[in-house]
Amino acid sequence: MMIKILSALTNVVIVLAVAPLIEGIMRKITARIQSRQGPPILQPYYDLMKLLIKEDIESGESPSMQRFSAIMAFASALTVVALLPLGFGYGLSSHTDIILTIYLLTFCGVCTLIAGLAAGSTYSLVGISREMMLMIPLEPILAVALIIAATNSGSFKLDAVLNGSIYNSPGIFPISSIIILVIILASFQAYAQRVPFDISEAETEIMDGPLVEYSGPKLALFKYSRMIRLVIYCALFIGLFVPWGSNLMFPFGFLIFWFKVLLLVLLVTVVAATHARYRIDQAINYFAIMLLVSFFALALASIGL
Amino acid sequence: MLTPEKSVFIAILLCLAGAVITAILRQRKLCGIVAFLITVATAIFIYYASFDVLINGHQKAVTFLSNKSLGFALRVFVDGLSAWFLILAATIAIPSMFFSIKYMEHYEDYNVSNYYPYILMFLAAMYGLLSTTDMMWFFFIFWQMMTISGFFLIRFERKNRANIKASNKFMIMMQIACFVTMLGAAMISGGEASLDNEKLLRYDFDAVQQHIGSLLTEKPTLSAMAFLMFLIGFGIKLGMWPFGKIWLPDAHPAAPSPVSAMLSGVMIKTGVYGIMRYFVWLVPPEKWQLFPSRYWGLIISLLGIITLLTGTAQALRQEQTKRLLAFHSIGQIGYILLGIGAAIALSYYSNPLALTLGAVAIAGALFHTFNHGLFKSLLFLNAGSILYRTNTQDLNKLGGLISIMPLTAITSFIASMSISGVPPLNGFASKWSIYVGAIQGGKFAPYLIPLGFIAIFTSGLTLASFIKFFGASFLSRKSAFVSEKTVKSELNWSMLLPQFLLAALCLFFGIFPYFGLVGIQSALKNSAAGFGNTFGGVNLFEGGALSGVGYNEGSFISPLMVVIALVLFSLLAILIMKLGRSEKRASNQWLCGYVVEDDAARYNAHNFYYQIKQIFKGSRKL
Repeated sequence: MMIKILSALTNVVIVLAVAPLIEGIMRKITARIQSRQGPPILQPYYDLMKLLIKEDIESGESPSMQRFSAIMAFASALTVVALLPLGFGYGLSSHTDIILTIYLLTFCGVCTLIAGLAAGSTYSLVGISREMMLMIPLEPILAVALIIAATNSGSFKLDAVLNGSIYNSPGIFPISSIIILVIILASFQAYAQRVPFDISEAETEIMDGPLVEYSGPKLALFKYSRMIRLVIYCALFIGLFVPWGSNLMFPFGFLIFWFKVLLLVLLVTVVAATHARYRIDQAINYFAIMLLVSFFALALASIGL
Repeated sequence: MLTPEKSVFIAILLCLAGAVITAILRQRKLCGIVAFLITVATAIFIYYASFDVLINGHQKAVTFLSNKSLGFALRVFVDGLSAWFLILAATIAIPSMFFSIKYMEHYEDYNVSNYYPYILMFLAAMYGLLSTTDMMWFFFIFWQMMTISGFFLIRFERKNRANIKASNKFMIMMQIACFVTMLGAAMISGGEASLDNEKLLRYDFDAVQQHIGSLLTEKPTLSAMAFLMFLIGFGIKLGMWPFGKIWLPDAHPAAPSPVSAMLSGVMIKTGVYGIMRYFVWLVPPEKWQLFPSRYWGLIISLLGIITLLTGTAQALRQEQTKRLLAFHSIGQIGYILLGIGAAIALSYYSNPLALTLGAVAIAGALFHTFNHGLFKSLLFLNAGSILYRTNTQDLNKLGGLISIMPLTAITSFIASMSISGVPPLNGFASKWSIYVGAIQGGKFAPYLIPLGFIAIFTSGLTLASFIKFFGASFLSRKSAFVSEKTVKSELNWSMLLPQFLLAALCLFFGIFPYFGLVGIQSALKNSAAGFGNTFGGVNLFEGGALSGVGYNEGSFISPLMVVIALVLFSLLAILIMKLGRSEKRASNQWLCGYVVEDDAARYNAHNFYYQIKQIFKGSRKL
């Protein structure tokens, strides 16, 4: 038990340390793609520190609820980190299963929703309405991937699911797993909350949506939790679809894991830098189709294909 | 010695006596207090009986009013299954009645002698229905007691024509349900029988059970028809598709809020009880092979999913608080039906793993029944509180109530998150159990995997709907209506206390699902002879109060661990926030400098989720 807790805490510390760096790399690469110089790679660390000393403006409808949502957004993201196997040991993953993981990720999203609602601005409400609409298809798509892996391994436990069991279908060829892999890749920008699916924030349009009324330390927490959530979704993707090598001896498995995270982030950045934002109705139609196809994949998986 | 059966019988008599007393008393407040005290007294008897059964096992049925020439006897029997539902009834009745005392003050134009006697009669009827073994006469008597008192409660505010209409619909649907269920009983009864030297009447549950084996072999069509009748009859009661939408969404908003809480929290659960009792406990284990469990499992779980999806999809477009909650009652019943259906489907396979998963599913259904009672009655009390303060059910007119009633807002937040299945609350714990049973049961019955998935998908819709419910009423910008027309003070303590009690229970069973599931396990173990009893033999949910719950190698969750992590990391977040010593300053919202903060620029409930509502537009016809 001690070892599990230690490994979970190590994961938390590592993620806290690395998440802004990932953001920095993304910003640098985006700038280069767009022929700009771009900020230094360490800029997100400076941003967070700067936000912490800035004035905390209470401009929303219910400041106490806004404060609560900022704290919960950060805490829930870190809770997921502690419960997931993230490179450095399995953390506390024996205390959770795929369903709890899916619902905890939903809980992370709910914190943003509450933040927007508590602010009460028209812009933030537009933002959370969009965010919620995107969550409706996104969480089930991830659930399909996890369920297919769980059906193949016969267990809902994370260590049995996040080890490549998604490809161990009883049939000759794991058709359903390949379909869901393609779908998750095609929706990954939305999990990462980047262009073309950052519709709920849309700085140019609704001014960061749910976060419009947030400033100072509260905004720092939200920004930080958003960076952490990107790492979480990368880790889930890697655990589900490309787990190979993560279980190697200490420095190797650990480095391979973060290398894979970096590759995935590169992909996200390139797509984000070269695309324009979708409208919400376009995105909803897009994900409705994705959801239907993933349902089809699940139906295939349930009959063993 | 006070047996559980006698104790329940005393509770029923107490309720009826209370109904008479409150009919005589004239004073509004006194009536409320008397009714509440009587409810507490009956609850003590009910708890005594139920916990006695859950801990020490059930005893023999007791016959009270018997009339041989009419073929008429009140045979009361409290087994584990009844006990579980009786505990639910008592647990919801106490806060609802306490809430009523103050709440009923706001109906100045109406006489409470049309309220308290009926609600006590309503409670008596539910206690009776949950414990009688008579499938015909006393079933009829209790059902009619429930229907008639429910009818008068729904039309309590009779100056509103819509309420009269709603109560008429309720009456007609309940009569159809009663008739259909009794028809089923008539079809399935196989004559008189005797048990332990006691002669049983032909419509007694145990008598039917003794003959069911031969009926299933000799007349499979007739028995299938009878089960279909039970499914329709109880399906009407619990709001199953396609019957639910006819009466339920009209009846729940029409009734005074504490009654809505009882209707949704307990009354529709008697339908769940009926389906469980007749489908899972009627056929004894040795005859189970004769029962077409494979098909009934498929039918019930499919109906469950349709109910779930149509109910929730329609709830998404509702803009009236109580109507929204009523549609969610239909939706949540879908989860329960899915659990029951999965359990029946899995019971077909004579494999220990299938039996275990079936037990997980039915335990999930029982747990969700209980949890839905808790959070839905809390939500109805929340809606009642809003109604009490603002006199409206229209979400579009509301907004920013958290600054007026912060304590109510906290309870409503807990309830909204519970019903959406957000961990670590009780709604998650029971949905988890249903998902595990259904999705892992896909090894045996593959169709359960997609059904379980649709249930996960629908919980996203539920979340969306409750983000709207909670957000549009308590959060978001304060509307002109709220700032001009409402009394700016938190509710009286006597209205807050019941809400806090229910919210605390939601949290407790969410963080420690072990206690709920252990209760269910002993309910299954101590249930009457019948197939359902074999589920009690499965050793479910290893783990403990502190470590969490799980079964075998399949799955394990520890909500307590989540809570500990959340609390620790929240402290870290607070620490980080304080690091920079930033100063607070109040300011106005940023509206780009040219929009004024008036009601025209307010984002209200109607505007939420336009694109998703477009996709589910067709659900209105279902």
